[in-house]
Amino acid sequence: MKLLIVEDEKALSDSISSYLEQESFVCDQAESYKGALEKIEQHDYDCILLDISLQDGNGLELLKVLKSNHKGDGVLIISARNSLEDKVSGLKLGADDYLSKPFHLSELGARVAAIIRRRHSAGSNLIRLAEILIDIQARSVVVNGRTLDLTRKEYQLLLYFAYNKGRVVSKNAIAEHLWGDDTGGADNYDFIYTHIKNLRRKLMEAGAGDYIQSVYGMGYKLMLP
Amino acid sequence: MKLFTHYSRVNILASILALVLGSIGYYFIIRTVLIHQLDETLSVEEAEILSHIQLKGQLPEPANYNDQQISYSPARAPVDRQFVNITRPDPFHHNESRSFRQLVFSVRAGGQIYTVSVSKSEEETKELQKIIMVVTAGMILLLLGILYLANRLLIRRLWRPFYQTLEELKGFNLSSHDTLSHTPTSIKEFRSLQQTVEQMTGQIRKDYDMLKAFADNASHEMQTPLAIINSKLDLMIQDQGLGEQHLRQLQAMYDAVSRLRQLNQSLLLLTKIENHQFEQTGLVVFAALIEKKLAQLEDLIKAKHITVTTDLQPCQLRMNPYLSDILLGNLLVNAIRHNYDKGAIHIHLQQDMLLVRNTGVPLSFDPSTIFDRFTKSAQSEGTGLGLAIVRQICDNYKFTLSYSNKEGWHTIRIGFSSLVV
Repeated sequence: MKLLIVEDEKALSDSISSYLEQESFVCDQAESYKGALEKIEQHDYDCILLDISLQDGNGLELLKVLKSNHKGDGVLIISARNSLEDKVSGLKLGADDYLSKPFHLSELGARVAAIIRRRHSAGSNLIRLAEILIDIQARSVVVNGRTLDLTRKEYQLLLYFAYNKGRVVSKNAIAEHLWGDDTGGADNYDFIYTHIKNLRRKLMEAGAGDYIQSVYGMGYKLMLP
Repeated sequence: MKLFTHYSRVNILASILALVLGSIGYYFIIRTVLIHQLDETLSVEEAEILSHIQLKGQLPEPANYNDQQISYSPARAPVDRQFVNITRPDPFHHNESRSFRQLVFSVRAGGQIYTVSVSKSEEETKELQKIIMVVTAGMILLLLGILYLANRLLIRRLWRPFYQTLEELKGFNLSSHDTLSHTPTSIKEFRSLQQTVEQMTGQIRKDYDMLKAFADNASHEMQTPLAIINSKLDLMIQDQGLGEQHLRQLQAMYDAVSRLRQLNQSLLLLTKIENHQFEQTGLVVFAALIEKKLAQLEDLIKAKHITVTTDLQPCQLRMNPYLSDILLGNLLVNAIRHNYDKGAIHIHLQQDMLLVRNTGVPLSFDPSTIFDRFTKSAQSEGTGLGLAIVRQICDNYKFTLSYSNKEGWHTIRIGFSSLVV
């Protein structure tokens, strides 16, 4: 899988690159509109992470170029301006998703994985994690042929871990993913613990291994054998 | 008192005073002039009599006309020449008298001294005087009337730019971008006023916009460094060599970044609401929205063992769906966050108002500042902007917003009357 990160902040671009490379993505980096244009013309990418406020041009213009060339690349817009208009115009121009800064790399990872899954494995809505099978279309989880009875939050959690498997996901990232911004960040930490405890119990009861590890109470990691 | 009334009153009073004094003076001047004329005619008569005596050596015939009489009477000694006013009974009208101007002087004719009196009727003079006074009085009244009307019309028109500027200033709203409109005026003072007002409001608006743009830019510029910090933290925790001690410190950093992010986003949201950047409206069914929000906040409510009771009557408002979401979210999170363990929340919704009541410790700050930015109790984990956002949304939609505290219950009331569908 090949990604292009178009971001003029080198430090952020590097972070994204090294996080996603752990998930066996190959990441190209472009720091300018021009650089990005060259790379887009030379290569095909599975997904392009596009910061729309670049020094030498607007990322939305880049998106127009992409779409007019009928490139099949998935596009995730990253913006420092959390503005509805940018979001709407970006999605209208054919972007797949929109993420406003600041974000957690795990959130970015999940979004990128979702975009690539939608674009590449059309028809296949299944994610396999050892004996755990997640059916995204049906929003169901099956272990050893048995469908689990998960709550919405437990399902969201499992999917989030699946998209970020092998990496530590912080409690902050989980809280933001599950509850969003307006429902009080740190207040939610205790519930994460409860939801994860229940999820693990349900998975293990169905005969799955205990793959969700706690990392000193500051985050969790899904480790497959 | 209006300027016109005041001006008009002073103006008319002064005019009347001036005209009355002027008329009195005028009357006396006219009178003096006319009498002087009479006296001259009498002096001409005197000269004729004297020249007659000189030529003929005897007195001319006495005369007794209606308007002029000449009479002689012998005298022992000459009298001083003088003009006098006399009245004689009117020969034609009983009980009435006529005024005469009389010149009395002495002559010597044939060795005898005579006192000569030449009198002329003043009636004509009086008649003239009367006509002049009547005409003058008419003129005065006419003048006053025209003055009043002219003032009324003229002043109204002259002052129109002033009143318009005043109205514009009254309706001046810093956050709206309508420019003040002026009627062109040729009056220097008003033009100067308009220019000054324009400059002033322009400057104020410029400063305000700059301040807002600054806040906006500052918040936006902060997003990228925050994203960098966040991403580096996300990478650091992947390091398996980190001990618990380090992870604990990283957690504190995470929390701080998270708070900064929320603070930043709240400030941005406030600016956007202030700038009316959420113009799009839709029909919001409040009861359903409250149910949805309560479901979203279920975990928080359960964790604090809070009992929520609702009394939701139909209420539909035409407003921005995102803002209605924020409004209710902030109110409910506020009611949960500042509640006791095993506390209670009661939500009452009716067509024109919303009440959110919750139990909780008394406020540690002045209740009148509860909706101000960064007002919060010392132990609060929040940004201190939640209720400020609520107020800004209410301001935008002209909802009334109030807080009260009674018997341990905090109540926030929002009146929708301006927007009821």
